[in-house]
Amino acid sequence: MSAGGVALGTGCLVFFLALGAGLQGVVNEVFPVSTREVEVVVPQLALGNLLGEQKIDDATVAKLRAVRGVAAAYPKMQLRIPAVSRYNGLFFGREVRMGLEVVATGLMPELVGPDARMPFEDHGEGQPVPVVANRRLLELYNKVFAPQRNLPRLTESMLIGFQIPLELGRSFVTARTLANPQETSMQLVGFSERATLAGVSMPLAAIQRINRKYGADADTYSSVLVRAQSADDVTDVAAAVRKLGLEIDDAEQRYAVQIGAAVELVTLALSLLAALITGLAAVNTMQAFYASVRERTREIGILRAVGATRSDVAAVVLAEAAATGLAGGVVGVVLARTVAALLDRLARTGLPDFPFKPPTFFSFRAEHVALGVGVALLAALLGALIPARAAARLDPAKALTE
Amino acid sequence: MSAIELRGITKRYPPREPGLPQLELLRGVDLTVHRGEFVAVEGQSGSGKSTLLHLLGGLDRDFDGAARVLGCDLRAVTDAELAALRHTQIGFVFQSFNLLPALTALENVLLPDFFGDGVPDAERRAREALDRVGLSDKAGARPAALSGGERQRVAIARALLARPPLLLADEPTGNLDASTGEGVIDLFRQLHWARWR
Repeated sequence: MSAGGVALGTGCLVFFLALGAGLQGVVNEVFPVSTREVEVVVPQLALGNLLGEQKIDDATVAKLRAVRGVAAAYPKMQLRIPAVSRYNGLFFGREVRMGLEVVATGLMPELVGPDARMPFEDHGEGQPVPVVANRRLLELYNKVFAPQRNLPRLTESMLIGFQIPLELGRSFVTARTLANPQETSMQLVGFSERATLAGVSMPLAAIQRINRKYGADADTYSSVLVRAQSADDVTDVAAAVRKLGLEIDDAEQRYAVQIGAAVELVTLALSLLAALITGLAAVNTMQAFYASVRERTREIGILRAVGATRSDVAAVVLAEAAATGLAGGVVGVVLARTVAALLDRLARTGLPDFPFKPPTFFSFRAEHVALGVGVALLAALLGALIPARAAARLDPAKALTE
Repeated sequence: MSAIELRGITKRYPPREPGLPQLELLRGVDLTVHRGEFVAVEGQSGSGKSTLLHLLGGLDRDFDGAARVLGCDLRAVTDAELAALRHTQIGFVFQSFNLLPALTALENVLLPDFFGDGVPDAERRAREALDRVGLSDKAGARPAALSGGERQRVAIARALLARPPLLLADEPTGNLDASTGEGVIDLFRQLHWARWR
């Protein structure tokens, strides 16, 4: 009975902690946040910016690299001319006719790193422009766009190497189309979390070349990703960035922090509920052990008669409580894992395939299991503490005549 | 040298109802028992025999008078010292056997080994003790599977485990039929003879 209560409390605690960790994992997947990196931008309302003085150029990037605690700085530049992609033909077994305005950001190849499965560098005019796309974009395509348009679902490996027509200098808005549009193509070379979510990312050199060719600004950068030497340096780096008259764009980080905080808050509330259940289990354990001590008064007398001290008697009761707690804890963990597995199965079959739907909503970590079993043990021991003292204080002569 | 030395022992119990006088079960008891003696205390039911034995075994220290058992002043020693005395120097046998039902006969005999500093070579001694009381073939049996006489012999084996110089038996035949009771008394005589001949 008391082990059952402990098991229920522990099970709830481990279950809610695993659920919180699982949901936090989903949040981290949707909003990947690096604790060492900040995105540096020109302030939107800076006086210098209004006067055209505040900008991020190579000199600014050099200054950022020289800031104490900065490990690296990667400038980014947006494609500052219109571009469209019109696709008319067979697309993985389906006849497709579509047109999209292309939004592109230039990244340094070092930033993309091994995410690019093919060379991510500018091959010059007349050659396909290599692009990387964000994995979240592919997830949104597969879970929202493809089902709605009856298009095939795609994997990263299916898409890598795929070429899409690109018309530089052209826009679906006629007024924006430039005088000398040029037809070329872009080739998908990889998927990376570094790539922009709204569009594609090209090598920085390619973006600079295209911007320059069409007379757009090819010298100032849209933003710089600054990587600190350690997470502890980020605060100082951010202060130094502000001293340079620049700003940190932490919108995505703030989303992640806010959602993460909400998940943590709910997890905390549910864990408190579980703690309350465990507390009630401790009270139940106390009642059960009191009853047990009353029922076994004569046994306690026998133990005292054969040489047990008061502490020995208390230790016997506490050892039984520890065994109860451990058993309850283990059963609780098994219970939590079983319920989680059932709910995951229900989610797999019963919930629609929404974007970022995880294979599991739970993340059972060793520390959660250890905490659960520890809490169970503690609850049982605390519950048995007073009955153990009562057992130790029993008068052996009276106990033997009970 | 005396094993037990009682002088002016008085034991009172609180009144059963308010207004009634205290119940005086033992009054000014003097008793000397020497090592190697085999002593029986007789008396009517309620005359204080069990109380006296509990007192001698250090299970009850709430009395007036002076009590020395095996050289130990029962009122002067600490609770832990008294437990150690019971563990190594005194064996108890009770009328109602007082075996732990969840344990086997052998485990019941081994019970003192779990406390204090344990009992040297406990398992061998426990099997020897069971052999001496004629129950070597019942070592694995639980009390429920034993007859009354067998249970009492297991209790005697338990009392012998630490080879104590003092064995206190509180109406050890009280729950047994006459012939089984005689067998148990014979066993006590044999054990006494073997130890003190």
